Amino acid sequence: MSERDGTAVKGAELHKAYGGVLALDDATFSAAPGEVHALVGENGAGKSTMIKSLAGVIRPDRGRVLIGGEEVRLRSPQDALRRGVATVFQELTLLDRMTVAENLMFGREPRGVGRLIRRRDLPAAAEKVLTEHGVDSVDPGELVENLPLHQQQLVEIVRAVIQQPKVLILDEPTSALARREVEWLFGLVRRLRDEGTCVVFTSHRWSEVTDLADRITVFRNGTDVGTHDELSEEDAVSLMTRREVSTAYSQPEQGPERAVVLQAEDLAAPGLHGVALALHAGEILGIGGLEGQGQQELFHALFGLTPTTGQLEVRGKAKHLRSPRDAIRAGIAFIPQDRKSEGLLLSMAVRENLTLPILGQVAAAGVLRPSTERTTAEGMIEQLHIDARWPGQPVGTLSGGNQQKVLLGRWLLADSQILLLYDVTRGVDVATKQDLYSLIIELAGEGRGILFYSSDTDELAHLCHRVLVLREGQIAQELDGPGIPTEDIIGAAFKEETHA
Amino acid sequence: MLERALLSPISGRGEQGPRQLARRRQLVAQNAPLVVAVVLVVGMLAIYIVLYAISLSAFPGTFEAASITDHAIPLSLAAVGQTMVILTRGIDLSVGGMMDLTNALAALKIQGGFLTEALWTVIILLIGAAGGLLNGLLVAFGRIQPILVTLGTLSIFQGLALWVLPSPGGHVATGYTSLFLNPNAPSALLWVILLGLAWVAFRRSRLGVQIFATGNDEQSARANSVPVIRTRLLVYVLGGTLAAGAGVALATTSTGGDATGGDVFTLSSIAAAVIGGVSLFGGRGSAVGAICGAFVLTVLIDILFFANVDPLFQPFFQGLFLVLAVGASTLVGRYLMRRR
Amino acid sequence: MSSTAETPPTPSRLRTTLNPDRRKIIYGFAAVVALFVLGDILKPGFATASGIQQVLQVSSFVGLVAAGQTFVILVGGIDLSVPWVLNAAAIVMIAQASGSNGQLWLGIVVALAIGLAFGVVNGLGIALLGVPAVVMTLGMNGIAQGLSLGVTHGLTCSGCTKPPPMTLVNLMTGKTGGIYTSLLIWLAVIALVTFVLSFTTFGRRVYAVGNSQRVSHLAGVNVKVVTVALYGLSGVFAAMAGVALAGFGGGATVGMGDPYLFQSIAAVVIGGTYILGGRGHYLGTVAGAIVLTTLVSVLLATNAPNYARDIVYGVVILVILLLYGRGRSEA
Ligand SMILES: Nc1ncnc2c1ncn2[C@@H]1O[C@H](COP(=O)(O)OP(=O)(O)OP(=O)(O)O)[C@@H](O)[C@H]1O
Ligand SMILES: [Mg+2]
Repeated sequence: MSERDGTAVKGAELHKAYGGVLALDDATFSAAPGEVHALVGENGAGKSTMIKSLAGVIRPDRGRVLIGGEEVRLRSPQDALRRGVATVFQELTLLDRMTVAENLMFGREPRGVGRLIRRRDLPAAAEKVLTEHGVDSVDPGELVENLPLHQQQLVEIVRAVIQQPKVLILDEPTSALARREVEWLFGLVRRLRDEGTCVVFTSHRWSEVTDLADRITVFRNGTDVGTHDELSEEDAVSLMTRREVSTAYSQPEQGPERAVVLQAEDLAAPGLHGVALALHAGEILGIGGLEGQGQQELFHALFGLTPTTGQLEVRGKAKHLRSPRDAIRAGIAFIPQDRKSEGLLLSMAVRENLTLPILGQVAAAGVLRPSTERTTAEGMIEQLHIDARWPGQPVGTLSGGNQQKVLLGRWLLADSQILLLYDVTRGVDVATKQDLYSLIIELAGEGRGILFYSSDTDELAHLCHRVLVLREGQIAQELDGPGIPTEDIIGAAFKEETHA
Repeated sequence: MLERALLSPISGRGEQGPRQLARRRQLVAQNAPLVVAVVLVVGMLAIYIVLYAISLSAFPGTFEAASITDHAIPLSLAAVGQTMVILTRGIDLSVGGMMDLTNALAALKIQGGFLTEALWTVIILLIGAAGGLLNGLLVAFGRIQPILVTLGTLSIFQGLALWVLPSPGGHVATGYTSLFLNPNAPSALLWVILLGLAWVAFRRSRLGVQIFATGNDEQSARANSVPVIRTRLLVYVLGGTLAAGAGVALATTSTGGDATGGDVFTLSSIAAAVIGGVSLFGGRGSAVGAICGAFVLTVLIDILFFANVDPLFQPFFQGLFLVLAVGASTLVGRYLMRRR
Repeated sequence: MSSTAETPPTPSRLRTTLNPDRRKIIYGFAAVVALFVLGDILKPGFATASGIQQVLQVSSFVGLVAAGQTFVILVGGIDLSVPWVLNAAAIVMIAQASGSNGQLWLGIVVALAIGLAFGVVNGLGIALLGVPAVVMTLGMNGIAQGLSLGVTHGLTCSGCTKPPPMTLVNLMTGKTGGIYTSLLIWLAVIALVTFVLSFTTFGRRVYAVGNSQRVSHLAGVNVKVVTVALYGLSGVFAAMAGVALAGFGGGATVGMGDPYLFQSIAAVVIGGTYILGGRGHYLGTVAGAIVLTTLVSVLLATNAPNYARDIVYGVVILVILLLYGRGRSEA
């Protein structure tokens, strides 16, 4: 292939600035044909910016991009595609008001008379493509917006693979995937590699990196700080952060049996059947299971987002939650998976995001008291060590981890005693995850009840006092911890299928 | 391990048989707004026929059919143009101004023999395209919101219309009018059917798909190799051309030219599109629905007439109908979504 | 992230107070000054104190309607029902007061109540039924028009052709301390609206909802109540403008509200409010309203024919938007 220098794709000495922020600062990255190359680094280290430069989405301010050893000027994604670089971006680029088939076959639709698209044949064509790649859980006739995130991710991956690229770039492909799907992806990637494809991927889960990657390049602050064949997690983290971060999970203390703060009996909603659970003060109660087994529905039900039946007691009082406001008043807080579209008002100030649910407390007779509001916000910024330059800074300009802290801080201000944390570490880098873990443990230690869902089973295993494994909208098994073996959680999630 | 992962990783869907049924149901749910629009047209026509029969003790004939289609043509054209723009998540408020201008031009110039008439028709359509191009350039390169761009050009086109035709007058040559108007047969229906068929083909062309993609999400469309800027430009050009066509049709189906006669079409073209199930949030809808919407609004006027509604109350019932129809359609859509 | 993370520069006081949104307001007022200068060159005497006051007075009607429009546009909505809500309110006030000063206040209250009612129905349709704002308010405009015309038999009823009570006429055309009273009223409205938007919990919730309905809902904001309240306010402001116009122009006429639809929207967006919601200030709208009115007055002063006025008006709107609307990508 590219015998000239053995690289399939290369970004050399790239610079890219956004406003005053240097996303790439003299960064170099290259990957060879027939290898799987992992790109790792903290949130905001510039991984995606490098990938977008290689994929023709953005044009770096300076530096060179080489594909197959040849310097190229990429003007658009199709430019890159034409040269054999296909990319799955971190932010999905499916057209959500179109069907899976329309998306998969976009630009390669079956055509008939007068080069017109034969819409009728689209689903069958897409179905064929999907099954060829081992995906048959996705209905090609469905609108993308109706698919759960992990299935959208599958479609996106398949769409990139069917371009038969020489270089396949996957930017955090696994963060939304269920465990089985990750396995599927790994199989696919290995096969492609063996066929000579160069695969570049990013991930914040170290086990995936060591599992899959032949080589690892570490990014820090917009530049590359080393490429290695073999790298321990500790070394990687200290390369990424330039500080020592323990990657061992801190474990919550086994608190004495305390009062029940949240109790549900026979809870039912669409996708949820007769769930009973009790959450204690000071407890981190994990919710596990395969993707899409009713976890989201459970969280939504407990936050008043879906109409539900069954009994719910919050701190000993029967409650019927009709809206998030009811839930918030009962002392429940919900931190959603997607902080950008569900958690934060990105263009509004950190201060405004913090005080949104407690406006009444920083106002008198409906009139805001700016000084009270500012001190309240500043207090929380200090308490959680939120790295904001000033309380008026738009929250969208903070790093991902700090945004997550703002979200937590909001509910601490609201004095919520029950925290529903839904996949809050998704896409968060290793060091920030550690920060969040200790924060969560600390919050539980103060007597809050925490319901914790994560798509990362290791997290559940280490962080939770107990784990409830959901299957088809019901609790399939309860596992006691802390320190539950990861395999047990996986086993419980799969149980039925191993029998079948 | 690799084999297993590739062959049976993520399964879990039903059998073939029920799936066929499911797919049909899925198609209905996905096109619920269009289905509602068609149901509305049929229902409105039924009501019209009943009211007509009651008040005149006869059934409506070709004359009535011709009259309805004739009246619906300008709005249909305008609504289809509007639909194209709305599909890209834009909106075209200048439709009314463009129709003013082209209506005035048509009334003044389309006369004096086949050749000049044909020539002026082409010129007028080109003027529409040019106006649309202006909109498109400002939206795509000026990076101004479509609603603001077209608010500005609306005023410009209205001014040009007044300049062309300061006071009402002029009329289209009678030979030309028979292209649209024929009291004995709904020949105009042919135009409508052609328009609908053109859409069906267009929807299946590359540009058609690109319009939907652009309106769905600009970033994603770019990542899917859609030339977003070009698509936007073309959409406004098409919209302007169709509005010009609507202006000519308006001049042809009304007695004389009027430099303000097109104004109402700005909002009614939007109303027709929305009744036809076109989503104002872009990426969803069909020009066939918009044509249905245009007919619904046209038949509604006749219904109100036969229902002996005081003409002064007409806007009341039109407004009420608009709210109820779109409200009902929204609720039906939601219900279908939830049922699945 | 990289270089700035290590030495976090705190932005200067000037940069935080002069953020792009506020700068737009200043540009708006600068445009007003420029237009007055231009007007004075074209027609000497245009920019005298009384000339300026007259222009401002006319602006106040656009400004009132645009106050409501600002509210709804801040949450990504739009109110197309203002023309006939305004008109209906004017008719109702005139008919209720029936020329007598004694009935005036009742007339005004009833007119405002009607505006509120229309606005609330708009809000309910949008928030509860999920009808798109464009369609809901367009429909309500028709409903208001049909009711106004139908009930009054095309404005031929005896009460509705009465002149407005003298108290109102004096209020709208008279002066207090050398300044038009109507201008003082507008000033009060400006102060109130600005205060509500910037310094109350309600105002904060408005911006929150405008930024993201989903996020606001999840943070416990009652999005539906906020939406209904805003459309209700828009109705009230339209009705206020109707009452003021009836007093100013000597009565209610058919179609008196029509020019205010596009003018109010244009004033809001020229004033820098983001049409998709979440960002903007009423002060910007005020600048926008004055720019538009001054522009029209300048064009009138040049004795340009009607058509030329329309064209120049459109061109100037586009030029203003091109000058500072850049960078805000479409939808
Ligand atoms: N479009 C943009 N506008 C402004 N700043 C941006 C933009 N895209 C990226 N940045 C900034 O550039 C820096 C690098 O971002 P990038 O997305 O490349 O990080 P990353 O390594 O992919 O992080 P993550 O692991 O969170 O995905 C960050 O500070 C980010 O805030
Ligand atoms: Mg990234």
